[in-house]
This record gives sequence, C-alpha cells and structure tokens, in this order.
Amino acid sequence: MFSKKTEWFRGIFPALVTPFTPDDQLDESTYRELIRFVLPHIDGVVPCGTTGEFSSMTLEEKMRTIDICIDQVAGQVPVLAGTGCQSTQETLELTQWAKDAGATGALVVAPYFLKPAYNEVFDHYKQVDKIGLPIVLYNIPQCAGTHFKWWTAEGMGLALDNVIGMKDSSGDMPFFAAALEKLRGTIGLFVGHDEVVGPAMLAGADGAILASANLIPDIWQEIYQAAQRGDAEFVQRRQKEIQILVRLVVRKGGPQAVKEGLRMMGLTSMSNVRLPMIQGGEFEREDYEDLRTQLENLGKIGSQTVHLGDREIEYALPADLPPPLQDLTLCVGEGFAGPPLSEVAHIDLLLGRKDGPVGKAIRRAQGEPRPGHELVIINHHPLTMLVPTVTVRGAKARQLVYEDAANGIKLALEHAIAHDNLPEAIVDDICLIANVFVHPAASIRQRVKINNYKAMRGAIRKALEGRPTIPELVSEKESARHPFRYAP
Amino acid sequence: MIGEPFRPGGVNPALVTPFARDQAVDEEAFRELIRHVIDDVDGLVPCGTTGEFNYLTPEENQRLVQIAAQEAKGKPVIAGTGAPSTKLALELARSAREAGASACLVVCPYFLHPSDKGIYQHYYELAKALPDMPIILYNIPQVVDAYLPRRVVEDLADIPSIVGLKDSSGNLTYTMEILEYAGDRINVLIGHDEVVLNALAGGASGMILASAQVYPEVWRGVLDAVRQGDLESARRLQRQVQKLSRIFCRYGGGVAVKQALKMMGVNAGRPRSPLKSVGGALLHEDRAEIQLELEKLGKIQPRPAEFRIPIEPLDTRFEKIGLTAEMIGAEKMQVGTGSTGKDVESVQIDLLCGAKDGLMGEAWAYQLTYPRHGFEALTTILEPNLAVRPSTLIVPTNELKDLRQANMIYGPVQNAVAKSIVDKLAESVIPQSIVHTHVMLVQATVHPRALDRRVLHHNAYEATCVALDSAFVEV
Repeated sequence: MFSKKTEWFRGIFPALVTPFTPDDQLDESTYRELIRFVLPHIDGVVPCGTTGEFSSMTLEEKMRTIDICIDQVAGQVPVLAGTGCQSTQETLELTQWAKDAGATGALVVAPYFLKPAYNEVFDHYKQVDKIGLPIVLYNIPQCAGTHFKWWTAEGMGLALDNVIGMKDSSGDMPFFAAALEKLRGTIGLFVGHDEVVGPAMLAGADGAILASANLIPDIWQEIYQAAQRGDAEFVQRRQKEIQILVRLVVRKGGPQAVKEGLRMMGLTSMSNVRLPMIQGGEFEREDYEDLRTQLENLGKIGSQTVHLGDREIEYALPADLPPPLQDLTLCVGEGFAGPPLSEVAHIDLLLGRKDGPVGKAIRRAQGEPRPGHELVIINHHPLTMLVPTVTVRGAKARQLVYEDAANGIKLALEHAIAHDNLPEAIVDDICLIANVFVHPAASIRQRVKINNYKAMRGAIRKALEGRPTIPELVSEKESARHPFRYAP
Repeated sequence: MIGEPFRPGGVNPALVTPFARDQAVDEEAFRELIRHVIDDVDGLVPCGTTGEFNYLTPEENQRLVQIAAQEAKGKPVIAGTGAPSTKLALELARSAREAGASACLVVCPYFLHPSDKGIYQHYYELAKALPDMPIILYNIPQVVDAYLPRRVVEDLADIPSIVGLKDSSGNLTYTMEILEYAGDRINVLIGHDEVVLNALAGGASGMILASAQVYPEVWRGVLDAVRQGDLESARRLQRQVQKLSRIFCRYGGGVAVKQALKMMGVNAGRPRSPLKSVGGALLHEDRAEIQLELEKLGKIQPRPAEFRIPIEPLDTRFEKIGLTAEMIGAEKMQVGTGSTGKDVESVQIDLLCGAKDGLMGEAWAYQLTYPRHGFEALTTILEPNLAVRPSTLIVPTNELKDLRQANMIYGPVQNAVAKSIVDKLAESVIPQSIVHTHVMLVQATVHPRALDRRVLHHNAYEATCVALDSAFVEV
C-alpha cells in the first residue's frame, strides 16, 4: 500500500501553551519548565498551536518560541511546529524558517478568517508542500471557520508528497470516520478534540495533539498505550474519569484553562492569556472552580498545612494562591453555576464561628416563623441552614429547593471535607448559612442539584480564601458584564 | 381564475389561537379577539405560526378559519394552511376554501428538508389542484430551518394563483432579492415586526404580524406615513414599538402576544403544550418588560405605586435591619448617603459600613436568613462569581412589586453599586485594610416606575460614589 506515514508521527503530543512575562514578552524560563514537566510522558510536542495562542503572536515571537522548544527538547522527541498563518506568503516564510531551524514537521492550519474556496485551500497547501518539511494538515473549524470536506483532505493527503498526517480538532466523528476510511495507512491521522480521543483512538487514530496534555500528559499516555493494546474497557473508563476536565479545556477557552490549571499544579510563574482573551472571560470564574475540583479529584492539587482560625489544618491549596483567611468570624462567599438558564444556581454563603454572628443569626432565625421561606437545617456536620432567596410557591418549587438544591449543597459539603477544602478539624467550630436562589421556571432536577453542588463548592473556597481578591476585582471592574444590567 | 386576482396588502394580524385550560380551542375567546381587532385591520390571518397552526388538527384549523370568516366584516381572511406534507397542505387549503378563506398562507415544507425541486413541486401541486385559491408563499427560516429558495420563488411567481410572499426572516437582503426577482408579479408582505418600516420603504405591500393584534394602529400609521413619503413619522412610530416587537419576535412569539393581550384585558387563552404561558420561551423577566412597554404605549394603566424617599436623619434609616442610631454611634460605623438624578430615574443610596465582629456583622448575617418578600437582600456583584469586597448587601427601601422592578435593583443598580465600590477601593477611599474585617450594607431607593436602565445605572453609580466619599471621609 502507498504510504507516507512516518515513524515519529504517533502517540501523545501536547499543544504547548505559551507563557508570557508581566510585560508581555515570551517567558523563556517558564516555557522550558513546562517542556521539562511534560517530556517524560509524551511522544512529541507542538509549539505555536492554537492552544499556544499562535494567532496572537508576531512572526518573530513564533520563530523564537519554536527555537526554544527545539533547543529544550534536544532531539528527545519530535517537534511539530505550528506554522499556519492567514496568508500563503507568511505560511511559506514561517514553514521554511521552521525547516531551517530543525523542526521535525509543521502543523499547518487551514487559512482562516477570509474563506478561500476549496481549490484555493488546496493550492495553499500545495505551495507549502514544496518546502520539503513534513506537513500535517490541521482542521479546526471552531476557530478557522473553514471546514475541510473529507474529499479535500483525501485529495491533499494523496496528492501532496510531504503531507504525512492530519490533525482533526473538529470533534466531528463522521468526518474523522471518512478520513480513516480514505486515508488510514496512507498518512498519520491524529485526533485534536480532547473529548473524543478514546473513541477516535479505538477507531484507528494514530495519536492525539491535545491542549489538556499540558496538564495530564501521564493520563493521556496511559490511554494511548491501552488503545494500542486494544484495551477498550480501560480507554473508556479512563476517558470518563477526565471527561469533565477536558470538556472544560476544549469548550471554555482552552489556553486560559490550561494556564490556570498549570498554576494550580505548581507552575506558578505561568501567565494568563494574551488580550483580547482575558482571565475570567471565555474561561469563566465558575469554570475555574470546576477545573480546581477536577484536578483535586485526580490528585493533582496537594494539601498543605496552614493556619485556619486557631488551628493548624491540612488544606487543598493550589500552588499559586495564598493560604486561607485566619479569621473565621464571618466569611462570605458567592457562587454561581449554570447552565441551562432556568436551572442556574446562585448561593450567597456565610461561614463563621458558632459563637459569632453566623451562629447567632441561625439561632435567632430558628425561633421565628418565615412563611414561604421555611428555613431548614440541611446538614449537622457542619451545621448548615438553607434559606431560599425567593418565596417558595408550590410543590414543584419546594422539591427543587428543599430536595434537589439541598442535596447538591450537602454533596458539596461532603466532598469539600473529603478533599480538604473544608478541613475536618474545623467543621464542629463553624456553621453556615446558604442563601439559595432557584429559578421558579426550573424543571431539570438533576441540573439544579449539580449546579448547586458547583456553586457551593466554589462558595466555600471563596469564603475561606477571601476571593475574589482586590487585584482580581480591580482588574475586571471595567470588563465585567452583569447579566441583568441591560434591557431585553 | 375568475374575476380580479386577490392582491394581499395592508395591515393583517397573525391571530393567536386561544386555548382553554383543558387545551381545547376556546372559540368564544377567538371571536372576541377578532372583534377587538377587526376595525383596525385590512384582513385576518388565522392559523399562522403565531396561531400555533402546527398544534391544530385539520378540523380545528377549518373551524378557526370559518369563525374568522364569520367575524371578518367582509375583510379578506388569509388562512394558514401549511403542513410538512403536500397531501395535508392540500387538504387544509381545500377545507379553508370551503370555510370561506379568501387566500391561503403556505409555509415552506418543514422538518424533512426537501430539495428545491421538492419545494417547487409542493406549491405547484397546490396551485394545480386549487387553481382558484390564491396562495401566499411563506418564508420563516427561524422555525423551518431553511429559506424558501429565491430561484424557486422566482419561478413560482409565474403561476397565476400565487399572489404573494410573506417574509418573516427579518433578513432584508432576502426581502430585497425577492422584490428584485418576483416583485413584478407577486406582492411581498413583511412578517418580521422589527423591520416593518424598512421593508415597506423597500417596496413591500403590507404586513402580516403578530403584533398587529396588539397595536394595529401603530402599523397603520407606519404604512400611511411610508406611502406619503413621511419617513420621519414612520421612523418615530416604528421606534415606539421596537422593543415590544423585538420581544414578540425573539422571546416567545404567540406566547408573548397572549400575555400582552391578557394585560390589555383581552382573553387570549393559553398556549398549547409543550409551550408554557410563561417561564419557557417567554421568561418571567420579559413578561415584566412587556407590561412596562404597554404602559409606555398607553395600552394599559400603570399600577399605583407607593414610593417614599427616606429623609429622616441618616443614622436612623437603618432601623428596618435592626441597627439604631445609638448602635451606629456606639460602634462608630461609617455612614454615608448620596442621591442623583431626577424624576423616576433618581436614585438615593444610604450606606453603612461596620465591623464583622460587632453589631453590624450580626445584623448583616441575620439579613441573609430573613428574605422579606419585596425587600430581598443580595450580595453585590460585578457579575456572577465576582462579588465585591468588602462584602456588601443591597436592600431596596421600597417594596418591589414585580419582577421588572426587581430587575432594576438587581441589574443596573447592583452593577453600578459594585462598580463604584471597586473604584473607591482602587482609589483607597475605602481602606483596603478593612476588606476582610468589615461588611457594608446599601439601602437603595429607586422609583418603581424607573424606565431607563442606562440612566439608572449612571445615577446609582454617582450616588454610591458620593455616599462612599462621605462615609469614609474621616477614616
């Protein structure tokens, strides 16, 4: 069979994020540190991919980034450099440069923004092909706005001598299935959508280029190895364990999610994304809390001994955060989680000592009737009172508030204790008031529960850690978008 | 065809279909609706999209057309007779003619996506089987998920009984293309309430609109003004109903129209399942907005609203939350007030800041266990998951009577208070050292009839800045 497959284009390749310094220059030392972190687990690296924010970098910056990457990797694994640009001319320039610099191959994204016709896309790749560096076609319609058709991928895969592979980040399984049917064995086929790696590999993909492989290269390598030996059961189970994490990364602003996760895990010098992407933007603050929960579940965030109240306790503290507040008089945390719209959860949480204002308020409230706002102690360890924000009317609303939202909150307390977010040592000293909003139009009970779980996990951490902090508030005070500020 | 062909035009309401509590068609309510509207319109359109035609049985469809014909005072009845299959569409058109319809409105066949050839044949078969029944083509990609292809329309326009096209897409490039290629042979009726003026100015002959049963006189005014070349008046009238039209078009269609009619005292019944009266496609918040806009149009009387601006000495204004002047004085809490703006958009902010481990902390925690209806206290946020520090509660001073009033407090006012607090924190007017030791409480006085969110936001921001400046002047 006619084949252009190469030995090196197989396995797990992280699409490396690009760290920047506070004055927005390339942060070389952090970049090298990131590469050292992933290197033991991976089969190749991709500098200047989509996750690497290539579209926000100058040509010179991309050259330097690729250069540092090649130097740091030092031949241990192949370097597949992202060299796709909007115009053919610039793509040619960067690809030629990557070849001269010693890159193993080039990942070339479909020309984006303006929408060239299929024959124009073909000729674009045909010119890049002439450079002589091995080329990997790159389909990512979510960003590029152009979708390869399987017949254009087939045409380029067969006709262009140096095209040795394709990365498909669309997540469109029928497209990938057609690519496997037409091209498997002829070129290497990589999946680039983290949510469908398991299915794609079991269907015959040769490897994966992934944003989340910055964070969990070890787990992806396990999945790849299992797929190679045909262990479908292992692939399915392991993919399921990381599915929430990788869905956050893929759908909620990839680069920022990866960068926040790396900081939590210990690479504290990692920067935020470059403008116009921002912290708290596409990767929303509720996603930050979710990501932290997922990394805790995977054992990627360790516990540290800190002072809380007058005790020394174990606390699951991301590497980039200061320790929690010491004063447990009255801690306030707000948590919001969605979607869908009607099932959103919003919690105003008070956490404080039993002999302080929170305990006093609970004791006082217990002695007073509250028609329409029945106050319920939903948990005893720690003592937790649920207060419905809006008047509860009807049996359905009662069920949503006092069963579903309450169950989500109780589960959050249980998990927060298990994962050292709410240290066991203080739970009998404190009590909580959760003022809970459930929308009167909510109907999906499971989402009400899950959203209240998420909102409560975040609210507990924020109360104990005093987040958001002043710098966070100040940096977002202009860009914040309040959902109810505007007319319909 | 016998006699002069029917030429659709003018102002035509796409009537809602009132359903009773048991989901049956409420015929009496339908008659009353027509009587309410008939003198202000040029024709009636029963069983359109607004009429939830796709939930009607063929028998119900025919009956509604019959009632419309009986109540139409001789004006034309354009019956919605579209269906996914050609066979059913033909059956409906035939029964509508028997029931007295003057023409039929036939939507592009939906769900399965027929090719251009299939779409052409659908209309061709109808016209062939019923050559004396005028047909109006109907483009509404929002629900069909496909456009009626212009090239098909161009050819269909040659068929004598095809007399018009209703375009509900709101995409004026499509409307202009149809006028260009078929406007010499068929009339184009605009079906999107947000762009009526624009389409009429571009050459449309009239309109079939959901909102033409709510404010037909406005549309009559727009049509007359455009015909007389008085664009200024036409713009003014269209602008008057722009927001309501947007709500009708985008947030619930017939469901929203039924709510509007109900507010105006016209019993338009309920929608049919799976649609909900409110809380589904039409949010409670948007229903509240409909009420306000109808008040502005003079269609309904505003509810009487009690409104009081606190003018007693500042340190006595917090007794409702359990803090007296003596307590405030004894613990040396920071107190400030500010008020800005005039008329219904004026805002007064009374602000109190105190230590968590004192009486303020107690009152603050107690507030969150005590949501009084109409006076709910919420923490102040820049946006969800971005609560300000020091933690701040907002409590309205006047009871919030409905969701729209609540939206004004918990939307623009809350956002403005948050922005002001963070600005004053950045300027160190609020000492950064107190963010974890103190909490604040804001009592917001906002007029229950406040209309303009931008002005309200501006005034609330200014008032809070003044209040913070005065509260922290001596710290």
